[in-house]
Amino acid sequence: MFNARITMPAEAKAGEIVEIRVLTRHPMDRGGQSDGKGGTVPRKILNRLTATYAGDQIFRFDMHTGVASNPFVSFTTRAVATGDIVFEWREDGGATYTRTSRLTVT
Amino acid sequence: MSSSISLRSRAIEPNRRAVLAGAAAGLALAGLPAPAFAAGTPELSEFVARITEGAVPLREGVTLAIPPLVENGNSVDVRVAVESPMTEQNHVRWIHLIADKNPFPDMARLHLGPRAGRAEISTTLRLAQSQRVTAVAALSDGRFAMAEADVVVTLSACIDGG
Repeated sequence: MFNARITMPAEAKAGEIVEIRVLTRHPMDRGGQSDGKGGTVPRKILNRLTATYAGDQIFRFDMHTGVASNPFVSFTTRAVATGDIVFEWREDGGATYTRTSRLTVT
Repeated sequence: MSSSISLRSRAIEPNRRAVLAGAAAGLALAGLPAPAFAAGTPELSEFVARITEGAVPLREGVTLAIPPLVENGNSVDVRVAVESPMTEQNHVRWIHLIADKNPFPDMARLHLGPRAGRAEISTTLRLAQSQRVTAVAALSDGRFAMAEADVVVTLSACIDGG
């Protein structure tokens, strides 16, 4: 169900602004449809994406039902130190998914 | 036999004519009022006021790039850029995206900070129908800025399916 493709440069000069593009595979089910048994399907979307880099949260994306399925987001950050950028998604129901991407600063 | 059919059809005729006339009148009425985008609708200003806690946002410095005509409301590319030096003292705290005619008008909030370098984001949204999309940016000095764009959606992201 969940898959993520993170596109960003592998290395950057210190101080350079790098663009990070994150394409996630997720149905982002907004819920409310009939489940065929008299009830409704509960909402199940990724409701938050956070990106942490060099000890700080650099980006947070609060998602509601207005975000498309297979959501895409791009943002920027300034390259400060070689390290992992950690992406963490939170799904309705409490599941979390984590991916990391390494940025080498020269 | 044939006479009874013709009688019946004659009896039906006025009804059908009335129905057609009524439908035509309804179409004409539907076409007349309610321009597609009433500028500054009260609902939209309420949504914005709730987000800015009553502050009136500036209408400058925010670029909201969204196609004016989209075929598929299920996935609409949007890009928001805010003029900001993105320093510790002066940066964009977050960008909030509103579609006032969506079932849930608050679509997304993107939190940035001084380490972003640039206040520029893009994402994909769902639009339930043709409407005005609003981006509100919260600045670190407590002010807000916003931009709006009208979007015509030919295939809506409807409640069922999709």
